[in-house]
Amino acid sequence: MSISYLLVLLGLGVLGGSIWALFWAIDSGQYDDLEAQGRAILDSEDESEKPAAQPPKK
Amino acid sequence: MSAAEALHARWSPDNGVHEHVVFVADGIHCAGCVRNIEKAVNALPGIDAVRVNSVTARVSVDWQGRKGTELAQILDAVERAGFRPTPLAGAAAGADYRKERRTALKRFGLASLGMMQAMMYLTALYGVSDIDASMAQLMRVAGMVIVTPVLFYSGAPFLSGAWRDLRNRRLGMDVPVAFALVLAWLPSVFNTLRASGEVYFDSVGMFIFFLSAGRFAEMSIRHRSLSSAEAMARSLPAQVTRIDADGSRRKITADELVPGDRFSVPKGAVIAVDSQLAPDAPADGALLDESLITGEAAAARRRAGELIRGGSVNLGAPLVLVATAGVAQSTLASIVALLERAQADRPAIARVADRAASWFVSAILVLAAATAIAWYWFDPRMVFPAVLAVLVVTCPCALSLATPAALAAATLRLSRTGLLVTRVDALERLARIDTVVLDKTGTLTSGATAVNRVKLLGKPARDVVLAIAAALERDSAHPLAAAFAPHEKTEVRAEAVREFAGEGIEGHLAGQCWRLGRRSFVEALGSAGNVLPLVRKSDRDSAVYLGNSTGLMAAFEVGAALRPEAQGAVRALRLQGLDVMIASGDSEEAVQQAARMLGIKRARARMSPTDKTALLHELRAGGHRVFMIGDGINDGPVLATADVSCAMGHGSAIAQSAADLLLLHESLASLPLAVGTARRTLRVMRQNLIWALGYNLAAVPLAACGLISPWLAALGMSLSSLGVVLNARRLASAARAP
Repeated sequence: MSISYLLVLLGLGVLGGSIWALFWAIDSGQYDDLEAQGRAILDSEDESEKPAAQPPKK
Repeated sequence: MSAAEALHARWSPDNGVHEHVVFVADGIHCAGCVRNIEKAVNALPGIDAVRVNSVTARVSVDWQGRKGTELAQILDAVERAGFRPTPLAGAAAGADYRKERRTALKRFGLASLGMMQAMMYLTALYGVSDIDASMAQLMRVAGMVIVTPVLFYSGAPFLSGAWRDLRNRRLGMDVPVAFALVLAWLPSVFNTLRASGEVYFDSVGMFIFFLSAGRFAEMSIRHRSLSSAEAMARSLPAQVTRIDADGSRRKITADELVPGDRFSVPKGAVIAVDSQLAPDAPADGALLDESLITGEAAAARRRAGELIRGGSVNLGAPLVLVATAGVAQSTLASIVALLERAQADRPAIARVADRAASWFVSAILVLAAATAIAWYWFDPRMVFPAVLAVLVVTCPCALSLATPAALAAATLRLSRTGLLVTRVDALERLARIDTVVLDKTGTLTSGATAVNRVKLLGKPARDVVLAIAAALERDSAHPLAAAFAPHEKTEVRAEAVREFAGEGIEGHLAGQCWRLGRRSFVEALGSAGNVLPLVRKSDRDSAVYLGNSTGLMAAFEVGAALRPEAQGAVRALRLQGLDVMIASGDSEEAVQQAARMLGIKRARARMSPTDKTALLHELRAGGHRVFMIGDGINDGPVLATADVSCAMGHGSAIAQSAADLLLLHESLASLPLAVGTARRTLRVMRQNLIWALGYNLAAVPLAACGLISPWLAALGMSLSSLGVVLNARRLASAARAP
């Protein structure tokens, strides 16, 4: 039976960990704009011009 | 003051006598809040009107500025009522949104994780009698440990909202909700501490989960509907580089720009104010993305002398521009102000729903008390779950969300296609129209010219005479020359082209001399006796003739070109069951011709604005509901006569527009879409109201009879709100439908 106590505590620990992870993700701005990254792939023309304009590094 | 704050929606039409302001009040989410703000502001002297929109959280106030009421006093009154007024389109508002969104996400995230885990532990207590007493106690404690932070973090908006309501002695939507939460949580904690009895932690967790899901959805709608206006305002650069007379560059804030200032715009940057290209700009002009303003995705080219609207993005090389207006007078500011006006107003139907919702809350509390008393006599053990179920199941959010959510979604959808709704009840009226009256000049036709009709007078075929005319006119600067340009063929070349001012043009093709222009000018080339009798009196000097030494070959009727999308738009409007007619001030011929090309039977020509107004009055007296579309420049009174009006969005004149709708990219194709969207909006609003009322009428008796357990009640009330919001969201995303 004592294993159940341990599992309950473990479950609480996992819950706390995932809440911390979620809050960290939100605070670091990962949910602020869910569309920009998807759209970024369409903007590749501008990106490809920039490296070409720079002199190649040796 | 930043550029964005210059866009702050405060204006005065008559220099301080009457003033108008729109701002956001944080913390509005129910009918009670709305009434409280209205009451607080109305208590001030000189207030004409206060409108509060509970979905967009906007407060709009009209007041008499010289009666001694300052804006600060109004903001103060709102603050004392327990709400935080924030500027509308400031950079601060942007940061506020992000913060609000993050906080709402955290609340929702904590509630969903907590709910799942609490449910996992506490189902062990459901109906299982042989569970070990110490094990059961462990589950209770685990539930308490999980749900208590959920209640006080995720549920904080509801608790504080209810507290604010009670302190102000009124009944808001949060009161029954918070009451239910505390009522379920307190005895559960008590039972946990004494290690026996029922606990409701799982129901509390679930209720909060659904409530915060609803709040999150509501917040997203609000942010989205604001985003169209505020994305504009916020995307404006706060700083610009001004080029002074001596060529030195200085960074200044955008609102310091005054008409006449030169400033530079790097590639990819947003242009801050309405402006023009500097005189020494390259001849090919500027390449701009105007999608922010017009919704039109294709890049636009603007040459010297043409208006460049603030909010456009410079796609090409760095530009030097001359400002033609300050930030507050630019197109963008006008658009934002109009959008604000639309979003701050609420249609009559929503006001009725709001009032109903506040009665509803009082009714719920009475009903809950009655349920408690009844069950106390009948079966005291059922008092608790039944009261809880009644309180939870009847949460009136669905009722107060029903219409604003639909309108916000529809407005958003239309603004994405370049159609600005400037009055919120315009959609309601638009849904009921049966007649469309179109102006011709500037509405059905654009500024461009085209060859509308070709009459062949000699042997050469239609495309041959057009190609010859095009070759003659190729390098001409005459306004009519552009009409022939689409018919140009590379193999047809004219030589020795000479222009005769006011007469026409002459040139040699394949050794033969051709003339294009007035009839007398062309006829002078051949012998007078060669004139063909086909030319009737009606082909007067308005037509352009083509001929060579053997006589006249063709007559062209050149006029304003119909917009390319006009035909499709008119057809779509008729498919929607609408009667389409033209009312124009133009000549009979021009109007009849346009009507023929568009397949419109009823067309009236030579109408003065007074005639048009009379026509609209006549139509309306005949029981028709009229949608008038004009160019918006000189037909203001006509537009105002119609049930709903739509104008072309021309530059900064739009701010004075009396029209209910504005076509920012001047494409008629948006009209059928607008009518379709308006009809669907009305349908969705009705569905929402019926759904919200029906749900409550069905659920309350069941809950009072104790047939609904608290967790089921939480599910039901959330689904009803979510249903309303999702139903409204269909409007924002759905493809076009009739």
